[in-house]
Amino acid sequence: MSSTMVTGSVETHHAAGSGFSLKEWVFTTDHKRVAVLYMVGAFAAFLVAGIMAILMRTELASLGPTVTDNPSAYNTWLYFHGAAMILGYQIPALTGFFANYYVPLMIGAKDVAFPRVNALSVWLFWMGIVVALLTFVIPDPPDIMWTGYPPYSIITGGNTAFYTFTVLLMGFSSIAAGVNFITTIIYMRAPGMTWSKLNIFIWCTLAAFIIQIIFVPVLGVAVTMLSLDKYLGTHFFNAAAGGSALIYENLFWFYSHPAVYVIFLPAVGLIYEIVATFARNRIFNHMKMVYYGIFGVLALTGVVWAHHLYTAGIPNWMVLIHVFTTLMISIPVGLLMIGLVGTLYKGSIQYATPMLYAAGFLFLFLIGGLTGIPNAMSAIYMHLTDTYWMPGHFHYVMAVSMTTAILGGTYYVLPKMTGRMYSETLGKLGFFLFFIGVNITFMFTLIMGVKGLPRRYYDYQQFPELEWMQQWATIGSYIILLGALVVLVSWLHCVFFGKKVGPNPWGSRSLEWTHAPRPPSGNFGGR
Amino acid sequence: MNGHAHEMKWHTSYWPLLVSVGILFLAPLAFGFYFVYKMPMAAFICLGIGAPLVLISIVGWVREGLEDEHGYSVGLSVWAMPFFIVAEAFLFVGFFAAYWVTRLTAPFWPPPGTPDISMAVPIVMTFILVASSFTIHLAEEKIEDEHYDRKGFIFWLVVTMVLGTVFLGISAFEWTELYHHGFTFGTNVFSSSFFSITGFHGSHVLVGLALFLCMLLPALSGKVNKAFVKSASIYWHFVDVVWFFVVSQLYFW
Repeated sequence: MSSTMVTGSVETHHAAGSGFSLKEWVFTTDHKRVAVLYMVGAFAAFLVAGIMAILMRTELASLGPTVTDNPSAYNTWLYFHGAAMILGYQIPALTGFFANYYVPLMIGAKDVAFPRVNALSVWLFWMGIVVALLTFVIPDPPDIMWTGYPPYSIITGGNTAFYTFTVLLMGFSSIAAGVNFITTIIYMRAPGMTWSKLNIFIWCTLAAFIIQIIFVPVLGVAVTMLSLDKYLGTHFFNAAAGGSALIYENLFWFYSHPAVYVIFLPAVGLIYEIVATFARNRIFNHMKMVYYGIFGVLALTGVVWAHHLYTAGIPNWMVLIHVFTTLMISIPVGLLMIGLVGTLYKGSIQYATPMLYAAGFLFLFLIGGLTGIPNAMSAIYMHLTDTYWMPGHFHYVMAVSMTTAILGGTYYVLPKMTGRMYSETLGKLGFFLFFIGVNITFMFTLIMGVKGLPRRYYDYQQFPELEWMQQWATIGSYIILLGALVVLVSWLHCVFFGKKVGPNPWGSRSLEWTHAPRPPSGNFGGR
Repeated sequence: MNGHAHEMKWHTSYWPLLVSVGILFLAPLAFGFYFVYKMPMAAFICLGIGAPLVLISIVGWVREGLEDEHGYSVGLSVWAMPFFIVAEAFLFVGFFAAYWVTRLTAPFWPPPGTPDISMAVPIVMTFILVASSFTIHLAEEKIEDEHYDRKGFIFWLVVTMVLGTVFLGISAFEWTELYHHGFTFGTNVFSSSFFSITGFHGSHVLVGLALFLCMLLPALSGKVNKAFVKSASIYWHFVDVVWFFVVSQLYFW
């Protein structure tokens, strides 16, 4: 490809497109702009849900009421924090923002298969955010965590309907995006872009979307039944009439466990891209990672959900099967980690900010993964379930390690999106604050769990001896908040004052970096 | 790398955003006002905002789609439809799974309050729906390149739509009958599944009919999009297949 020609045409584009047109943003169907819309929505959700976490941590900083004396308010924060972090931030950031930005550029396509459907996906996601945010203005907001278990979600005075509709809107958005991106990846690869040449991020995204189109509908059914039961008087989950709350729990986790892999796979794909670029190395056994790692996760993803239900009253044979499958799925996941370490091996590693995040990912995911293995075993699970151990584990494995991937991935893509370089000082400062903060908070969370502190409560009168640990966890959360603000400042600094850079500041060998920064509408041109 | 001057313009469309806003009013807000906050007036206002927005957006979207007939997306829709159908199939899997578990763990079946449900009605409905699958296939054949016949296409499309409408009519008749026998949404666990699944299937028939209407109106003025017809027809066959599960599981088991 003649880079001079590309650069030349992009320069004219800058000149022509220098005027900001609101219409071209709001009604856009271009995948790169849809990506930005996803990014703004996802990080807005991250910020608001993060503030909820700060409120909860502050409440827990001392015994007795601290911020509020109303436990229902705490429940609402808990609801919003979980629902918005997973449905509003992690899934849209990874399968919305990054998938939109990267997939067409990495496979050499003009856009996604259905640009208008793509715009529909992002706006349905935004409507989901709107319904979720209504939590703060409506009377009787939802107070049912992000899981919405009956019977409480049916008998509560809270607004379960808005929980249902948040999930449905985000779900429709995900299904539309899934159909769109699977079609794009299969049918819109550039000539010569064979399956074996695809970036590992593309494979991860493809697998994540396959999981989405299979499992999201089941969650949609579960939450629909919830509102039917509550508002239209059906008896799906009403034990008195012969229904069962266990049906909800099974349907819910049948999606919501695979949702972990919907988040994990694109995140690990991003980390692979970053590690390969900054270690100046080939991906360790690239196709084996795809076949055994990614496909392994895909094969097992639908048969591990019941490990969330060991103590819910399911039959023993079902517990036994899920102990085995759950331990088994740690093999492909572990393989993907080994691939990352193998890619680092004998590489010439350059610790720019994205690489720091990737290294942070390896550490945090290791702790998250290792704390997960005892959970898989039902006998140990009995003692750990419903204690702080569980939030400690899933914050390590899912919340913070995937966030390192999202933040690191954003730093990695910024020069492409903006044509400017971020400040390494701010980037590194943000990373270290975040990394130190999460370890303080969630190490103490894990330890409190082993000490038997039950989760979800807004107070802990029976455990006064744990107050000092709670305080450390709260201090950690303030450090995380500070780190997040530094990250935000560094991004804004990059967008407005960053130093201009060329097409490939990282020296990556991947296709999307051959293109000049701020690719124009239509990407590579041609058909 | 030629043709850049043309591609400098960013592509836009009004309809995705407008239809999303319409859905926001039509579903969460209207439902919330009516069922949660018991404010019917506010709910009707939301319906009044949402329904026109959604309808206008669909019309606008279809027109826009027919305009760029040579866009690359058009041909791809036939290949994308199977993936969409996978998602749709799992919606029904969810409902059926709940029904199977409830039924297989029940001490006795059917639960009290269930009247005798006529077997004749679903058999008639099955014939109608299967017939409509054939007629849409005939319509599809009329727009093949070798023997393009727009009038014939319109004829078979209308026949399909009539059959679909009759199907829905019988379904509505059956529902009212059952309702008069005191068998409603909240009667027992069977009625919950029965009305959810048949209603859910019926809503798919309705969506299919809406798709056909979106093909019929442009076809009257000479615009036929083959890929659109093919995709809608695949969807219709899927709705037909699901019906076999509905009949076998709800009526004949």
